[in-house]
Amino acid sequence: MPKVQPPHPTRRELLRAGGIGLLTFSLGGSWVQLSPAEAQAAGVSLSVLTPEEADTLAALGERLVPGSREAGVVAFVDHQLAASPADCMLMIQYLGVDPPFAPFYREGLAGLNAAAQARHALPFAKLEDAPAEALIDALAEGEVEGWTGPPPPFFYFVARNDACDVMYGTVKGFAVLGVPYGAHIMPPSEWGEPV
Amino acid sequence: MTALPTEKIDAVIVGSGAAGSHFAARLAQAGKRVAILEAGPARKRNDLVSSMLWARRLKGAAAPVLETGKNTVGYGFNAGRGVGGATMHHFAVWPRLHENDFRVKSLYGRSRDWPIAYADLQFYYDRVQEECGISGNHEKEPTRPPGAPYPMPPVPVAEQGRVVAGGFEALGMKVSPLPLAVTTRPYRGRANCIWDGWCDAGCPIGALANAETIHLPQASAAGATLHPDTEVVRVLTSADGKRATGVEAVTQDGQRVRVMADVVVLAAFTIQNPRLLLASATPKHPDGLANASGTLGRFITSHGAAPLFGLHEKETTPGFGAFGGQLLNQTHYDDKNAHAEKGAFGSYQWMIAHALKPNGLLGIAPSRPDLRGPALSAFMERATRHMISMTGVTEDEALAENRVTLAKRKDVHGVPLASVAYTSSKASLALWDAAIAEGLKVFKAAGASEAWNAPRAPMHIMGGTVMGKSAADSVTNSYGQAYDLPNLFIGGAGLFPTSAGVNPTFTIHALAARASEYLIKNWSSATG
Repeated sequence: MPKVQPPHPTRRELLRAGGIGLLTFSLGGSWVQLSPAEAQAAGVSLSVLTPEEADTLAALGERLVPGSREAGVVAFVDHQLAASPADCMLMIQYLGVDPPFAPFYREGLAGLNAAAQARHALPFAKLEDAPAEALIDALAEGEVEGWTGPPPPFFYFVARNDACDVMYGTVKGFAVLGVPYGAHIMPPSEWGEPV
Repeated sequence: MTALPTEKIDAVIVGSGAAGSHFAARLAQAGKRVAILEAGPARKRNDLVSSMLWARRLKGAAAPVLETGKNTVGYGFNAGRGVGGATMHHFAVWPRLHENDFRVKSLYGRSRDWPIAYADLQFYYDRVQEECGISGNHEKEPTRPPGAPYPMPPVPVAEQGRVVAGGFEALGMKVSPLPLAVTTRPYRGRANCIWDGWCDAGCPIGALANAETIHLPQASAAGATLHPDTEVVRVLTSADGKRATGVEAVTQDGQRVRVMADVVVLAAFTIQNPRLLLASATPKHPDGLANASGTLGRFITSHGAAPLFGLHEKETTPGFGAFGGQLLNQTHYDDKNAHAEKGAFGSYQWMIAHALKPNGLLGIAPSRPDLRGPALSAFMERATRHMISMTGVTEDEALAENRVTLAKRKDVHGVPLASVAYTSSKASLALWDAAIAEGLKVFKAAGASEAWNAPRAPMHIMGGTVMGKSAADSVTNSYGQAYDLPNLFIGGAGLFPTSAGVNPTFTIHALAARASEYLIKNWSSATG
């Protein structure tokens, strides 16, 4: 388990952060230090997430940003994780985490599921509203017992921003908000997926 | 793809951003044989897709930058990836440095002095302003230092700008049009901006003065060659250690090549320039090239961004305008001790009324990270119509201990990664606090129903290859010419001895204009 190098976010700081404030923090480029073989294995898969991870991400995304499940949060993240770092559109690439980014998501989603199992003997995706929301509160506050993944509030913000991206950052998303898109160059697809 | 030169050329330029493209245009127009080596990919205008998702392809870098210290410089966010470098996603807010910015040590006894005064740069600011086009109104911008009037009328002010301006005025502070290197009318063959707020995704219509619009076409027309996907891994020097002889690079297909030249211009962004020089150490330069003073890598600064957001009962159409904003306030700029009673030091300005998109690091949704679920949906509905915003650009004290060194980890080409140790001074942090307090007062006075701020975040990266009057304590002279290697020139914000409290790109260009003119006039002595 690699250690997070200072400066590491405290939970209060992270809860107030978001947006450009996320640049305040750095995982020191040391969150994951994979061997080249591991990195290649993580980066070349065309479908990175497992069905269980996809279910967890979809459920988390929907609770954070309503509509994001249908908008395709799983397809978006999975597609970006399979892309080369140069083509990646995930916000995480600004946030001091080394590519490939799949281990970050994998460990965050596994941590969330492990916590759901420990608390309620169910995967996160199967939780009722109240326990699921309580677990997300704990995630945002960094108070998930037995957590072993990336810093929980950091993972919360990354997942939340991905869900916001897919929900509000597309031509369809602008339409949902009733905001004119006004493109110079229309996106050839929402996020680089094959059309 | 154009083949790399196999014979020695006049100048090899590392990086195709603001400084690199500027040098390339001037040297090629003076008849020099020039090659620009760019680590990132080439793009077509159609690749500048209007989307905050697609925009992310313009940022970051191949090799990560490791960060230690209490603060970060946000390399991945501030750097550019690909031809045109960070100019392709910069917001073109182009204020000038003020006279006191050049004399911080002399006037206040802290940080450093620049080796030049404002008067030395005024002519070049004026020249660049004419060439690149800046919109503004110098008569309504009383804090602007002397110089030629802006060549284009100012950016239009919409409701968001009017609302925030009302807050400043209620507190007795004046706002000015924001000087933007964006066209408000057709200018030198360029179309005018249509204010749809996609600056961060790269401007594909030529309205914003980036490298692809201004200097790279000039360089190309004058015969300079541009080589994308060609990453420089070492600056080469002669056996006696007295001259730079060229660079070693890795091409897209993995070949290691050498490009030899009479002059090397290093313009590979703030952190990468010192990294390359440190990694190019030889027995004659055991501590890295251009580092006899021990100053290389030191005095890294980054503006502390002070982002303010609010909601207002009026419809503000926040999605439109320019990303950089509509208006400027520099009320306290000229007194770096304006908030000394709070332990603060430095200058700051407000960029007012940004174009805000729903998503993205600077967007609407991430501004309220505490909201989720139905509360977030309701907020988005309201904020996309009623949001107001501004950002303070706060000065960062230059400290020797804030520095780039080489990490033990190496990139895929075997070059050690850059490690940045960066901790802002208490006075810089206090300045940010003072700016935030003022900003919240302004929004309250503007009638905001809610106002909040994001934490201090790193915006722009300066220093690391600082210019100075003496070879004993600086890397280059005022032309960016390395004291230890007279045919090695450095471009970019890394030359800034202090950060000032304004956006750096205009000054990068003014310095490059002055340096390239000097180099052309003094070619024999620089290369001889």
